[in-house]
Amino acid sequence: MSTTEPPTYNPSIPSDPITKTTPTIHVELTPHNLDTLSATRFVRSPSAGATVLFIGTTRDSFANQPVSSLSYTSYAPLAISTLYRIANEILTKHACTKIAIVHKLGECPIGEESIVIAVSAPHRQAAWRAGEEALEETKEKAEIWKLERFEGGEGVWRANRDGKMGFRVDGGGGGGEGKGG
Amino acid sequence: MAPAKAPAGHFSILYFAAASTFTGKTGEHLPAPVRARGLFALLEERYPGIKDKVLSSCALTVNLEYVDVGEDDAEDADRQIGEGDEVAIIPPVSSG
Repeated sequence: MSTTEPPTYNPSIPSDPITKTTPTIHVELTPHNLDTLSATRFVRSPSAGATVLFIGTTRDSFANQPVSSLSYTSYAPLAISTLYRIANEILTKHACTKIAIVHKLGECPIGEESIVIAVSAPHRQAAWRAGEEALEETKEKAEIWKLERFEGGEGVWRANRDGKMGFRVDGGGGGGEGKGG
Repeated sequence: MAPAKAPAGHFSILYFAAASTFTGKTGEHLPAPVRARGLFALLEERYPGIKDKVLSSCALTVNLEYVDVGEDDAEDADRQIGEGDEVAIIPPVSSG
């Protein structure tokens, strides 16, 4: 079977943020450091008495193995539309005021922010619940992949779904298993 | 961001995460048309072992929509991938 040369497709780290924004929803994939304050400011509203901010940061180990670096790739057009759909569903379901979901792409140094979710609602209970659910839905569905590199050089594509360590980058693709994180 | 446009008679396929590692590519152009259900078998011919090691846990999108080709009676069992379509192999995701 004949094929053409591989296209010059670059997997994915855009040089500028990719966003979709309405008056009540902001979703973003960005190669830059995440700005928690701007997410909080976006959701601030006179009709909201509560704002919940979640900050996910990258951990230095997985299943007791030291992680030396992490990076994220994405199918950005699809991931943005998935994040927007999640945000829209959460707003409606919990009667929230505004929501922002921002995820990092590219290299993310250990200990730095990889995801920020801010939600505002008239009262705190809805904001807490919406924030948690937005995170869980994002982890389950957004088309974003984390590559963890361990000390010693081995790299592994993580899978949130089953908490397994996932697909090894070096050594031809056996699937190692670890405990969920 | 998007791959170079597929030449006449071809579609684009994008490989992410484990699929990219296994194929050593982020994407390529393949001849169209192909039955969506036959795509994984076609990839197995090109990349022996990919079906068990990678594709068995992957989903498939065509033009940014998920296509269900898993079972004989799957909704999209007869779906064709045509010239100019953008197909993507979607491994289990891991954001956060």
